Amino acid sequence: MFKWLAKILNGQTKNQAALSSGQQWKDESEIETRSLSKHIDQNREIIEEIFDHCDDLIIHEFVLGADKKAKAMLVYIDSLIKDDLLQTGLMQALLNIHHESVRESSLAWIRERVIPTGKVKEENRWVEVSEGICTSAVALFIDGQKTALLIELPEASNRPVSQPITQTSVTGPAEAFNEDLHTNMGLLRRRFPTSRLAVESMQIGLISKTPVNLVYLKGYVRNGLLDEVKERLNRIKVDSILCSGQIDEHLQDSAYSLFTGIDSTERPDRVASILLEGGVSLIIGGTPFALLLPTTLATHMTASDDYDYRYWYASFIRLIRWSALFVAALAPALYVALISFHQELIPPSLLVTVVSNREGVPFPAFLEALLMELSFETLREAGVRLPRTFGQTISIVGTIVIGQAAVSAGLVSSGMVVVVALTAIASYTIPSIKLSNAIRILRFFFMFAGAVLGLFGIMAAVSLLSFHLCSLRTFGIPYLSPLAPLSLGDLKDTFVRVPHWMMQNRPRLTGYAELDRQDPALKPGPPHGKTDRRKGKI
Amino acid sequence: MLDKGRISSVQLLFLLLIAELATAFLYVPAITSKAAGPDGWLSLLIPATIYASAVAAACVALGKRFPERVFTEYLPEVIGRIPGKLLAAIYTGVLIHITSVMVIEGAQFIQSNFLTETPVLALQLVLVIVAVYGSYLGIEVIARHNELVFPIFILSLSILIVLVAKDIKLHNFLPVLENGVVPVLKGAMVPGVWRGEVFVILWLYPYLNRKEEAYQAAFGMVLLATVLVTTVVAVTVGVFGDLYTSRLVYPVNVLARYISVANILERLELFIVIIWVAGVIVKLAIFFHTAGIAAASTLGLKNYRGMLLPVAIAAMIVGNMFYGSYVQVVDFLSQVWPYYGSTIELLIPAMLLLIAVIRKKGVSGPAKKKS
Repeated sequence: MFKWLAKILNGQTKNQAALSSGQQWKDESEIETRSLSKHIDQNREIIEEIFDHCDDLIIHEFVLGADKKAKAMLVYIDSLIKDDLLQTGLMQALLNIHHESVRESSLAWIRERVIPTGKVKEENRWVEVSEGICTSAVALFIDGQKTALLIELPEASNRPVSQPITQTSVTGPAEAFNEDLHTNMGLLRRRFPTSRLAVESMQIGLISKTPVNLVYLKGYVRNGLLDEVKERLNRIKVDSILCSGQIDEHLQDSAYSLFTGIDSTERPDRVASILLEGGVSLIIGGTPFALLLPTTLATHMTASDDYDYRYWYASFIRLIRWSALFVAALAPALYVALISFHQELIPPSLLVTVVSNREGVPFPAFLEALLMELSFETLREAGVRLPRTFGQTISIVGTIVIGQAAVSAGLVSSGMVVVVALTAIASYTIPSIKLSNAIRILRFFFMFAGAVLGLFGIMAAVSLLSFHLCSLRTFGIPYLSPLAPLSLGDLKDTFVRVPHWMMQNRPRLTGYAELDRQDPALKPGPPHGKTDRRKGKI
Repeated sequence: MLDKGRISSVQLLFLLLIAELATAFLYVPAITSKAAGPDGWLSLLIPATIYASAVAAACVALGKRFPERVFTEYLPEVIGRIPGKLLAAIYTGVLIHITSVMVIEGAQFIQSNFLTETPVLALQLVLVIVAVYGSYLGIEVIARHNELVFPIFILSLSILIVLVAKDIKLHNFLPVLENGVVPVLKGAMVPGVWRGEVFVILWLYPYLNRKEEAYQAAFGMVLLATVLVTTVVAVTVGVFGDLYTSRLVYPVNVLARYISVANILERLELFIVIIWVAGVIVKLAIFFHTAGIAAASTLGLKNYRGMLLPVAIAAMIVGNMFYGSYVQVVDFLSQVWPYYGSTIELLIPAMLLLIAVIRKKGVSGPAKKKS
């Protein structure tokens, strides 16, 4: 029995042993270690294999020289290369070669005489070539040459990248997606300069022909997820897609739920972290918001700062954020329940204050709470809709009229204002807008339950919600994992964030295609002589 | 198979545990101390455990012979078509009956603690709606929900025990075995049958993903429940003495009211007790699921979900007809339930196991691993 329990508790850590045996924990694919071939067609095949599923790779074939006999091709990634430079500079130079037989002349000749930039390298191994392509270089292959020229061009920046507006962070990178798909792909490509980053582009919408890029890391994502996402995307038959939320609703598992298993973000670093956990992202043209899937409740509650701060503080703010989630959902409901049913639970001194505050308030607690919450939500919506210049007006009207005047007019009690303010602040700590919107609605449901049946009503409502959440799945992943079903190993990145050197595995459910994140023996520390654990590993 | 869900052995263990603990805490201390006096903890520790282990052994052994079907499905195969269907129908009735008792137990508990002026029927209705929603979503969802509820449940219980531990008076347990063994055995009857509710494994076994761990889950439940319930009863008797405990309506609840740490941590009882309500809801969901499955399999339906509404309505009607007041419930629990319970939990399953072995029905030997 105890063995059995121990087995269950340790189930997560088994595969670590296999790794620590000194073998390199990640190696290049076999194909990348090869050298280039002499024949351009073979090279093309290999390139297509390395960049399998990378739809933003461009292979441009043409012929060189006056006799038009030398076949050549330029290979580059669309989103990384500035088009006009390529066209006016490089292509023109190449096509202007009037040398009779380019085929026989060496690449060095081209390099010296033709290429209009000095940032050129000559490589003959696929590793370097594919790496170069992924870091904004154009690769030039010429038939009959065993090497390729990597010509580095200035990076493309079609639109200036701005700061994130909705998901700000203190220490994280301050760049956000914008409406231009090209720029967005460039932002991602620069984070993963590797052929592993797969990009499959498609168009959705009969009229709008919205470009949608399905982005994932090859080998990290499980096949079932990918197939399912593609199938659901293919099922979307609409005439137009104007925003990411539209695709979100078409892809859901549970069509009627308040909660969504697909988060949206405007931060490239967040997309990157989801991809690293074995997720998939949809970058949609015309909107700065990328979709992330599958997102569980725990993913909704993570912010990119969590991984940047030191783990003690990161865990601390995580815990604060989780408690804020409960406060945001339950605080007004608890207040109403305590005031109307369970006054005995409030300590006497506090009760006196609360009651004297409520003296003269004409409404029952529930109505009071409802009024305040609704007016807060109205205020919030007004704040979003108002032109920037009127922002001041709203804050003055909001604080003075609804805050102070309502209390002094005896319409609401000051205790209620405190609770509503606390709830409002708590709801803004939730990193995901979609989750925080769901909580906003739920708050009213809980308030109603608390007003009708007190604490028991709240408990019944919470149970109802919990049953619902437990039944939710997003692309096969239970929405509440790793809490229910419990997966102890994955709790390392849920309520707390353990040090990075301890994050051995990806989340088990999303990342099982490639579970190991890093070398198992990464614990930092000074050298310890003979027993130095850093020796002998990798 | 009526429900396509799969649960792990730990989830099963938690389900079985909460199925006993959620209501046992409310009634067992008073009933046991009435019968066994200061030796109540002994009743819980030894005879009740032996009985519950027998139930667990019989039920799992029976389940193992029919790994992919629930009890009411294979009954006709074991004892013949007509008697089998008849017994299945009786079991469905029994499950509805005991579920109705649980609903009324929960509702009365809530009424006396939270909402003294709300009619029991309204509370029953809310409880039943939430629980039936859970069982509608399937056993997998109940199991996951329970993974959230159970740790908090145990936590609240531990907080309670730790905070009142300083008030335990050892002389409340003396003299040990003053009247011999008979009161201890009598005191074990109710809690024993309560722990024997492990027999719902007859309906949960098919959903277990690794069948070979069924014994661990069942016996684990019996052992852990022994530890927990014995501790709670011992603490209650230790604080209040057996006489006072036996006269209280919900002794553990009064115990929670007893918490006072430095005059600041007071009046916590509702927050502790409200978590037990969550446990009661899970328990109800399990039993509604079981009763729904039993009803559907008896009638030969393909889906149990349609049976949940009739089962729920029947349970509410039965509960209100027979157990209108707390006294009636306790009377049933202490006078009828031991004999009634032991028949359905141990006697009939054990006889069926015997018949199945003799008639060579089902799979014998170790359960085959599911492919």
